[in-house]
Amino acid sequence: MKQHPYCSDCEQELDVMNLPLPAGLKREWAALQTRRNFLSRSGNVLGWAALASLMGDRVLTGAAHAAAKTVAPGPSADTLKLPQFAPKAKRAIYLFMSGGPPQIDMLDYKPKLAALYDTDIPASVRGNQQLTGMTAGQARFPIAPSHWAFKQYGQSGTWISDLLPLTGKMADDLTFIKSTNTEAINHEPAIMLMNTGNMNPGKPCLGAWLAYGLGSMNDNLPTFVVLQTKVNPKENNQPVSSRLWSSGFLSSEYAGVGLRSGGDPVLFLSDPNGVDREVRRKMLDAVEEINRQTLQDIGDPETNARISQYEMAYRMQTSVPELVDLSKEPQSTWDLYGPDARQPGTFAYNCLLARRMAERNVRFVQVYKRGWDVHTDVTGTLPVLCAETDRGCYAMVTDLKRRGLLEDTLVIWAGEFGRTVYSQGGLSRENYGRDHHPRCFTTWMAGGGVRPGITYGETDDFSYNVVKDPVDVRDFNATILHCLGIEHDKLTFNFQGLDQKLTGPTPASVVQGLLA
Amino acid sequence: MTRTGLQIPPTRNVRPYSTRRHLLWVSALLVSLVLVLLPWVFKLNGKPHADWQQFLGRFHPLAVHLPIGLLVLLPLLEAAGAVRPALREAAGFVLALTFAACLGTLALGYLLAYGSGDIGPTVTRHMWGGIGLSIVVLLCLLVRPAWASGATAPSSLQRLYPVLLTSALLLLVWTAHQGGSLTHGNNYLTEYMPALVKSVFALGNWRASAPPPGSVYADQIYSIIEHNCVTCHGDGKVEAGLRLNSYEQMMKGGHDGPVILPGMPDQSILIERVTLPADDKHFMPAGRSPLTSQQVALLRAWIAQGASPTAITLAGFALPVARKEKPIQPVGDYSGLMGEIRAMQTGQKAKLVPVSSKPSDGLVLNTIDVAPSFGDQQLVAFEKFAPYIVEAELGHTAITDASFQSLSTFKNLRALHLESTAINGSGLAKLSGLSQLTYLNLSDTKVTAAAVAPLSKMKNIVDLYTFNTPAQKQDAATDTPSTPARTQ
Repeated sequence: MKQHPYCSDCEQELDVMNLPLPAGLKREWAALQTRRNFLSRSGNVLGWAALASLMGDRVLTGAAHAAAKTVAPGPSADTLKLPQFAPKAKRAIYLFMSGGPPQIDMLDYKPKLAALYDTDIPASVRGNQQLTGMTAGQARFPIAPSHWAFKQYGQSGTWISDLLPLTGKMADDLTFIKSTNTEAINHEPAIMLMNTGNMNPGKPCLGAWLAYGLGSMNDNLPTFVVLQTKVNPKENNQPVSSRLWSSGFLSSEYAGVGLRSGGDPVLFLSDPNGVDREVRRKMLDAVEEINRQTLQDIGDPETNARISQYEMAYRMQTSVPELVDLSKEPQSTWDLYGPDARQPGTFAYNCLLARRMAERNVRFVQVYKRGWDVHTDVTGTLPVLCAETDRGCYAMVTDLKRRGLLEDTLVIWAGEFGRTVYSQGGLSRENYGRDHHPRCFTTWMAGGGVRPGITYGETDDFSYNVVKDPVDVRDFNATILHCLGIEHDKLTFNFQGLDQKLTGPTPASVVQGLLA
Repeated sequence: MTRTGLQIPPTRNVRPYSTRRHLLWVSALLVSLVLVLLPWVFKLNGKPHADWQQFLGRFHPLAVHLPIGLLVLLPLLEAAGAVRPALREAAGFVLALTFAACLGTLALGYLLAYGSGDIGPTVTRHMWGGIGLSIVVLLCLLVRPAWASGATAPSSLQRLYPVLLTSALLLLVWTAHQGGSLTHGNNYLTEYMPALVKSVFALGNWRASAPPPGSVYADQIYSIIEHNCVTCHGDGKVEAGLRLNSYEQMMKGGHDGPVILPGMPDQSILIERVTLPADDKHFMPAGRSPLTSQQVALLRAWIAQGASPTAITLAGFALPVARKEKPIQPVGDYSGLMGEIRAMQTGQKAKLVPVSSKPSDGLVLNTIDVAPSFGDQQLVAFEKFAPYIVEAELGHTAITDASFQSLSTFKNLRALHLESTAINGSGLAKLSGLSQLTYLNLSDTKVTAAAVAPLSKMKNIVDLYTFNTPAQKQDAATDTPSTPARTQ
């Protein structure tokens, strides 16, 4: 803007290039400045390559896709050079226990607590930790030993609560991590941190990174599927939202595709009356033509994502009904998973579905089970929660193992944090509550890449602080990526002037002790 | 330019038998004598000496590259000097410099060995290599003027220089290899050598000293020690008089006495040293990353339970089944075939997916997208790429037993998925030539126990899955506690 020569109130024009901003950000700004630049971006090879990865070779073969003929055929794994090394696991199944399972009652055996019933937790153990608003006002922090007995299982002699007899049975196949710890003390930030490596929403989650980095192994099913377990109204269900399986700044085709827990797994998937496959195909071709025109005109990569999602939906019209058709499952499946598995939306059903997706080479399946937020009435709700999940977990791991799939499938079981040793609210011999506890919680993994039958890390006698081999969320995620053949530092995406990655800018390391 | 070589102007009147030359030969002899006698004056007796010696000595691995570089440069200068005389003139200076660098490096190396108390056959060989090399370089220095001056010198001396220089280079390679073995371990070069090359060099049994597998010591303890300790406490290098590369030697201990006291892990020096903070002077493995707590726990438990060389279980530890992880056999580079592979995929719709970004990791044949229409004919079409395919995912496809004929050509196959196919196993014997195959999935097929029987001869198959087949073991039947149908 030109200033009038007599104007004394000289206002400098705002120039982004002169602002104290990182150089990368300025470049990004400059790239967005001219229409020409913006349009040239529409030819961005990466966007095409990503599209090609989801659509596989159809891009090249489909006669109808005239425009697509110019597309570079390489899948994204080609351009990203991933995996960097031969991976132990090709796919992963993440059983997410939302709400924070109480490790002291399930997996972190603390026999010395029994003698300390209703005594106050020593100040030295708690340190100066800030508590949640739910217990910060409590006059006392009385120790609540676990209501349940523990037994040793397997050759490894792992101590596991009587609440999880079937988890005990497969103890020698699991890798327990007692020293997982997080920085967040409340659900939303903690669950975001576990899933996306950042407490604030907006970053891509683990599944989206995997879909982006490794691409699809099955053109007919989404690369990343999310299964939610039906809520049990008797439990304290914290919300989970699509933020947790969002693709953040990555193209939205890498976001998790949620299958519904009841009725049709995907709404409006079947063709309406009077519309057959032929008509549907023609309609999609026409829509795609228009979308490509829009892409040419505007160059928004999101249009690409939309095109590929329409195609995916078309293919899912046949692949999804086949996926959820359990009629051909042998009797041994039902013996293993139990009668619950016949009921869509139960945890056991989702575990069975996850196994079926592993068979079909779906890269990443995440099963959410809510309700673990046991602030009160631990003895009332925890047995229900454990009964709902114990068999499903056992059945899925065992089923994968006997079918030879556990070799190259990584199974992960984790919540967003643990729970306190001291009781929230009143403590009695019969009942107690437990508040959120970020400093330690127990998780487990199994299958491709991790060492079976070990327990990694230790907590103190109060299951309050980690005393040996801490595994924070970044290390946890770095280890998962490693099992899938990815060096966490190398899977990056430049956004807002930073090479963004799942493990964030703080250094993270692969936990060697967990690896097979 | 048409310059004819070898016309070096005689700048100086060279008189080979002058007094000055005699003096040079005598002093060279003296220097050589000093070098040769060095190990007798300052004996390497396995005891560490002053810290300052080690401080200086640790620059040896750095400094050593200077004389190496110079020495390698020499023949190039001499050869190029045939065309450009100036280069050959420079060679004389470089040679003198090489000798000076040799002496300096030798001194540092000796300080390192003497200061740290390192002994062992490799140390000795490396030392003599260094001394010998310095002497040969000195001789080169003496005879070179005669050679460079052309025809005026007696012919025998003239011919000596190229011979000496060649032997110096050969000696250099050998000495450098000894030095490399000291820092990186004896098997550094051979560990990942392709089997073929190994067999040529007859190196197949480089781990001959490893104990026979089967015991906790052999499968767990020895592998921890082998990877973390034997570079310095082994045959090549025996720091502190301690050798950990055999059970007997390990139990004998070193200068500080036994390092393992069976039943008393807390009194055992080995445990003490590996659990010190990493900045402690006595911390082990010195200069490397500490053992993981799992490894320490394993060592501790093993010692606590008697440190037996033969025990096969360890209470409180679920030891991973001693599974011989074969190093992945690299396949050839398929990058050149990418065009054909793409064209193939377009026709077949089945995909060949790289295992990783390294071509030598091979390709995976992925058929899931077209499984129902992928039959024996389609598989035949992939035989062309068979050498590069390490994993074939043929589950849920329409292939039959006829495919085993094709599959027998997939020589680098490591994993074969045949689950949920119509095969009955009658052709399984054709797989016997697949020496790399470790994983075979026959779940949900019609294979019978009789059809699977020939596979028991294939010792390389570690994971055989026969779930939900007539061949399945009975115990994997019903109810929740169904045991996995994993037969070893």
